[in-house]
Amino acid sequence: MSDTTTTTKPFLHPERVEKLRDYVPFIAIALVILMFWAISGDRFMSVRNWTFIAQQTPVLLLLAFAQLMIVTTGSIDISIGSSLAFSAFLGALGMLWFGDVGLILGVLAGGFVGMVNGCIISLLKIPSFVTTLAMLIIVRALVIIMSDGTSIYITSDSGASGGNISSVAAPWLLSMGKFPAIFILAAIVSLLMWAFYEKTVFGQQLRAVGGNEKVLRLVGINVTTFKIKVFAAAGLMVGLAACINLARAGAATPQAGMMMELDAIAAVALGGTPLTGGYGSVVKTIIGALTLTIVRNGLTIAGVPPSWSQVALGILLIAAIAISLNRSKIDVVK
Amino acid sequence: MDGSDTAPLLTVEHVTKSFGGVQAMRDGSFDLKRGEVVAIVGGNGAGKSTLAKIVSGAHVPDSGRICIKGVEVSRADHSVSHMQASGIEVVYQDLALVPNMTAPYNLFLGRIPRKWGLFVDEKKMRAKTREVLKQLNVTTVQDLSQPISSMSGGQQQSIAIGRAIAWGSDIVILDEPTAALGPNETGEVERLVEDVRDQHGTSFILISHNLDQVRRLADRIIVTHHGVTSREFKRDEITSDRLVKAITLGE
Repeated sequence: MSDTTTTTKPFLHPERVEKLRDYVPFIAIALVILMFWAISGDRFMSVRNWTFIAQQTPVLLLLAFAQLMIVTTGSIDISIGSSLAFSAFLGALGMLWFGDVGLILGVLAGGFVGMVNGCIISLLKIPSFVTTLAMLIIVRALVIIMSDGTSIYITSDSGASGGNISSVAAPWLLSMGKFPAIFILAAIVSLLMWAFYEKTVFGQQLRAVGGNEKVLRLVGINVTTFKIKVFAAAGLMVGLAACINLARAGAATPQAGMMMELDAIAAVALGGTPLTGGYGSVVKTIIGALTLTIVRNGLTIAGVPPSWSQVALGILLIAAIAISLNRSKIDVVK
Repeated sequence: MDGSDTAPLLTVEHVTKSFGGVQAMRDGSFDLKRGEVVAIVGGNGAGKSTLAKIVSGAHVPDSGRICIKGVEVSRADHSVSHMQASGIEVVYQDLALVPNMTAPYNLFLGRIPRKWGLFVDEKKMRAKTREVLKQLNVTTVQDLSQPISSMSGGQQQSIAIGRAIAWGSDIVILDEPTAALGPNETGEVERLVEDVRDQHGTSFILISHNLDQVRRLADRIIVTHHGVTSREFKRDEITSDRLVKAITLGE
């Protein structure tokens, strides 16, 4: 092995492949942009379309951040789509009850769902996949029960509310859902998330739990309460995403956020984060969320029917994970 | 230093421990002086790991007495954190490191220094890590931003031993410290133990299956047999034959 360092390295030398793997998300997004530019030309590469992408990405981005925190510890949360609908609904209800500040209720609702997830996983020791699968069903059902199948609308003028349609007048919230406000908000959250994930003790602990949880217990770190905190923190992020979604959609609907949990996982995986935990990057997760949005957008512009674009996105997800995995370090696949 | 030679740092007297009817430790007694390396040897199930875990605080003994620097550890106080606070650290067989984290993080595991209450004080961690590696004469670890999984087993074990001594502990329990290492790396770790002992006066409790290693490192050897610390040898009175006999037959 040692003589390979003195002779010239073959093109696909393991060290080179390892380094290249770090750049996969950046290469992927560049290729995707070039491809759609080549296919659709100015219809894709226009200010109007990129403004649209900038409006489309933030909800997914925040959900991906939530997923990133959890995946880094080696767990997974597939309830975040349902949690988004629940949070958006409670946010809208909060505004009906308490005025504008009531929107906070939406953020807290997400945190609450996350905390419940964390408690079940940590205290009852039920695997995160099973726990959050159950919560995906329960929380969605709760939203349908609470809403009785109807939506709460956000309107721009105060006079329109009345009759049997629930609506809240909040023009400020609707404008938050548009470029540039939504973009600035996403940028600020990204910056805070970066500092939180890369620089804080909490962020380092996320990786350490994903790396070797047993050791942390040995040195006296309370991993049980830490995991509850992680799920609660991720839940707050989902709650924030729900509020942005409310602003974007102009309504809290019982169907909001369906399948978004898979998009969030896909964005994290496209960002090169192994789903086995221990590693992760905020910057690459941003790239992952952008890639996913751009592919969906590009396929639509190119005239690909929605069902076929879902197939393409699924293939993209598998390809991204396949490339980012370091198979030499994997003993068992379950 | 002359006076400390006589007063033991740690005394363990007649400790017992059973697990659901199985008496893992029937009568464990030994003492440890400052700067001494004491090895505990014995066959599988002879009780050497149980004894080590009682000293590290992981197991609470059913009866018996443990004194650290002349102060008895009460059964209510007996815990890992109490033993750590009393200056006892453990280096585990399976390294007990977080493989995806850097050397500084592993050194500061459970003690991460904070800036403004929230952020990691990386500068402080790096400076302290360099200091500890220098103390240990470990020159092979240069890049502190790499995860330790990219280091050799010997380097990783150096970090683990570094963590045990970095926080001023008096007693380090080495639980099969080289079981997972090759011959070169084993030599590296053994040198490290001797260096630390000579420079810092740290005492070591060595649990090992490797009798050659035990004879190289230990000042005294305690043999456990069927849960009893049955024999004790001084360094100069040990032959392989007598040791093997003591371990297998308890004589």
